[in-house]
Amino acid sequence: MDSNGPIDYLPIAITVLVAGGFVVTTMFVSNILGPKRKGKIKLDTFECGIESQGNARIPFSIKYFLAAILFVLFDVEVIFLYPWAVDFRKLGMDGFWEMISYMGVILIGFFYILKKGALKWDTD
Amino acid sequence: MNTLIILSALGIIALFAEIFRFRKALFPLILLGLGGAFFFTAKEYNHPQIFLGMMNFDNYAVIFSCAILIIAFLWFMMAKNYFLQETSVTDHFALILFSLVGAVVMVSFSNLTMLFLGIEILSVSVYVLAASDKSNVMSNESGFKYFLMGSFATGFLLFGITLIYGITGSFDLASIHTQVAANHDSGLVIAGILLLMIGLAFKSSLAPFHFWAPDVYEGAPTTVTTYMATVVKTAAFAAFFRLFSTCFAGVTGHWTDVLWWMVVLTLFVGNVSAVRQKSVKRLLAYSSVAHAGYIAIAVVSMGAASTSAILYYTFTYSISSISAFTILFIVSRHKGSKDISAFEGMSKANPLLSFAMTVAMLSLAGIPPTAGFFAKYYVFLTAINAGNTLLVLIAVIAALVGIYYYFRVIIAIYFKPEQQLVPIKVGPLHRTVLIITTILTLLFGLFPNLILGWI
Repeated sequence: MDSNGPIDYLPIAITVLVAGGFVVTTMFVSNILGPKRKGKIKLDTFECGIESQGNARIPFSIKYFLAAILFVLFDVEVIFLYPWAVDFRKLGMDGFWEMISYMGVILIGFFYILKKGALKWDTD
Repeated sequence: MNTLIILSALGIIALFAEIFRFRKALFPLILLGLGGAFFFTAKEYNHPQIFLGMMNFDNYAVIFSCAILIIAFLWFMMAKNYFLQETSVTDHFALILFSLVGAVVMVSFSNLTMLFLGIEILSVSVYVLAASDKSNVMSNESGFKYFLMGSFATGFLLFGITLIYGITGSFDLASIHTQVAANHDSGLVIAGILLLMIGLAFKSSLAPFHFWAPDVYEGAPTTVTTYMATVVKTAAFAAFFRLFSTCFAGVTGHWTDVLWWMVVLTLFVGNVSAVRQKSVKRLLAYSSVAHAGYIAIAVVSMGAASTSAILYYTFTYSISSISAFTILFIVSRHKGSKDISAFEGMSKANPLLSFAMTVAMLSLAGIPPTAGFFAKYYVFLTAINAGNTLLVLIAVIAALVGIYYYFRVIIAIYFKPEQQLVPIKVGPLHRTVLIITTILTLLFGLFPNLILGWI
């Protein structure tokens, strides 16, 4: 480690400044430069062309949340297959068995979720 | 490593116990599995094993793992009846087993990534368990509060790890030690150490990061509170000391002053707040905060004897706590109240229960011949050897305040007029737990070398 002082983190500070500055600048400049047309239709929420109905902050079924969180869980776990696939030859048989046991644990979890009925939609 | 494999396998088996309908067989299986894990862990004593530079099963890790497994064994015996009333008992057992995996990782890491993983495996399970009494609003609040504050503290911990990595270029504890010593005047080192300390102080509930503890301890089911006060606290302090003694022992000037003030604050906030509590559960929660302060004295005055002092303190404190919480659990279920008044005059009808509670309270207060006395003695000894005499003076004053509120419970048991002479029913498992914990508390108080000789 030749260089390790606070000064070496200057690029990060510049990145933060540029990123923050870009957001602030675009928001303000578009507000100033853009044309302003106010009307009921213009200010309405855009919902793919359909007329908007009611407030978005309403209670909805916990099942959506459960399905979403399970999707994220398995999605993230499957991503670990990609680095393994890239280094498949180098990792050899050891890597293969490690991945099999890893996938096995995931499958056990998946089986558990199915048996617990987390993905059943028509209960209660 | 065998410990981790056995515990993980047990957790997976517990998950399936309900689906494949062997709920009845699960409990003996878990006790057997914990016994097996203890056996395989104890076999690694004096045979240090290193796994890819990530985990180092040295004697420190082996002894603390064994302590955690013994406490967990007693915990399972205490908690069985409570969780059997639940519909998804196997999930709770599985969560506890997975969190034990985290605890074992926390005492055996030799790499900062493993420290982070261990803390997360432990915490995430306990977040869920704190909220496991689903129909109780207090329990929900407790889980939510613990989760929010805990993730915040994890953020501090990760930020600290990032800064330390930035300055040393390594996650490995040994190379961090040399690199930190080489760059000891850098501001980033100080910031990194302090951020790591904040993260770990939160997990071990040191003031001023203790605010979650009383609310979470009170809201969570009593069995889960017991788990948090014993296993989680032992693992948190083992990790705290392992990290700071291997990485930052060379730069004590950067962090001992801050920790010194945190200890003083913890001792006073914990003990003084406990004095006014009506609920025994909340009293024990504040006492748990106060005990964190005593244990941290051994971290501040880091020396050769600190390891054995921390081991002795955490282990005996956990044993006494399990005893106290078990009795609180039995009494509160019988009387429907967790207040000190529920204990009034129970000595006539329940002499053994009263005796066990008295021994637990005396041990927590630090009165000989219980184990709590020697726990405080060894911690104070490390401080005196390191020249922290003022800290010992403050801690003794705090301990005097502690004696006051622990004796409030004892006085309620023995010297208040009895309200009813109905003996409280104690199940065979609870009876066994209370006999074991009371005997151990007295035994370790008379022969402290039974624990101290190992490390």
